[in-house]
Amino acid sequence: MNKDSQMRAAINQKLIEMGERERLKELLRTKLVECGWKDQMKAHCKDVIREKGLEHVTVEDLVTEVTPKGRALVPDSVKKELLQRIRAFLAQHATL
Amino acid sequence: MKMENMLFSGPDPTKLEGLVHDIYSELVDDACLGLCFEVHRAVKQGYFFLDETDQESMKEFEIVDQPGVDIFGQVYNQWKNKECECPNCKRLIAASRFAPHLEKCLGMGRNSSRIANRRLATNNNVSKSESDQEDNDDLNDNDWSYGAEKKAKKRKSDKNQNSPRRSKSLKHKNGELGSNITSEPYKFSSQYNYNPGVNYETLGPDEVRSLLTTQCGVISEHTKKMCTRPPFPDAGATTVENDSFDIPDTQTLMHRLQWEDSPDISPADSASSKASTNHSDSRKPKKKKPTSGLSSGGVGSLTGGSSSSSSSSSQINVSLANKKKRPKLSAPLIPTIYNELN
Repeated sequence: MNKDSQMRAAINQKLIEMGERERLKELLRTKLVECGWKDQMKAHCKDVIREKGLEHVTVEDLVTEVTPKGRALVPDSVKKELLQRIRAFLAQHATL
Repeated sequence: MKMENMLFSGPDPTKLEGLVHDIYSELVDDACLGLCFEVHRAVKQGYFFLDETDQESMKEFEIVDQPGVDIFGQVYNQWKNKECECPNCKRLIAASRFAPHLEKCLGMGRNSSRIANRRLATNNNVSKSESDQEDNDDLNDNDWSYGAEKKAKKRKSDKNQNSPRRSKSLKHKNGELGSNITSEPYKFSSQYNYNPGVNYETLGPDEVRSLLTTQCGVISEHTKKMCTRPPFPDAGATTVENDSFDIPDTQTLMHRLQWEDSPDISPADSASSKASTNHSDSRKPKKKKPTSGLSSGGVGSLTGGSSSSSSSSSQINVSLANKKKRPKLSAPLIPTIYNELN
């Protein structure tokens, strides 16, 4: 387990150092906007806010309401592509 | 180093896959969090619901999802069947045809002058037979007007010069040339009486001559502007052959002047002889008018009277003009003239 977490930490570190993590993040955000995920989530947020009241909304409220739905609404194609890229990165750099 | 060796040798594919998914989940969570922060800030700053404040305009601009209509609710070809009134000819034209119609109507498009001239040619062909009788009388009754006469003659020769199509149309009227010519000058003079921008009647003979030797001089029916194109040569002439005509010209002239009724110049195939034929035939009905002699070397030849003078003056025109064009047609032209002499 220690090795595991060490391994994970190492890989994460590599991701960040090489700038791959930033690239992946930007890629994901762009894809989500393109496919309309962001608009869907905004509409959902509106409902939540109207429910909770405009003045009393907190970040935590939003996060707890929005995140599970957000995870579920990501289209399959976007998910597949991202997984592909992460695997490719690992295959390329984990062997070094 | 060691750690990295351990890395690859260690993990199972499942673990690796688990790792991949974990990384992916982290990225998605980051995206969601980013969205939440954005929304929360918008709410607190007060601009989150800004696009929903006006219920009326929201209903007005709502996205429409009906067949046959775009998302604004507009029909695709609504204006196709509308008709617009042309400011020039006051006709009602379909909207999709409006722009090309304006081009032709105002005489300003690329092809509008060609089409107009072609139309004039066909109109002259069509209407000549109708207006034969009265035209003859009208021509005879016209007061001797230098400008009108010149104009008509000039217009005729311009028509012949400019395109093979025109000469072709004249060719077909071989047997009816006489009547054709009588009607055409009448048409053109009436055309010019219709208030041209450049008025040939007001210009003196020398001015007209100088004008017409340098420019085409055709006045457009629509725009009333004079064409400033350099004049085309009369067909069927080359340098060498024309020079030799200078002296015999006067002799042929003397011969011809003696003849009262010069026979119709034998119908030749070339446009050039048509041109000279037309000139000569156009002189016939105008025998009453005084001859102004051969001295006018100008392109818009000013002679009235006998046909021969005009044909030889057209030869002179030929010699003056650029002789490089249509050398082939010079052959038929020469035997034509000599046939007459014989």
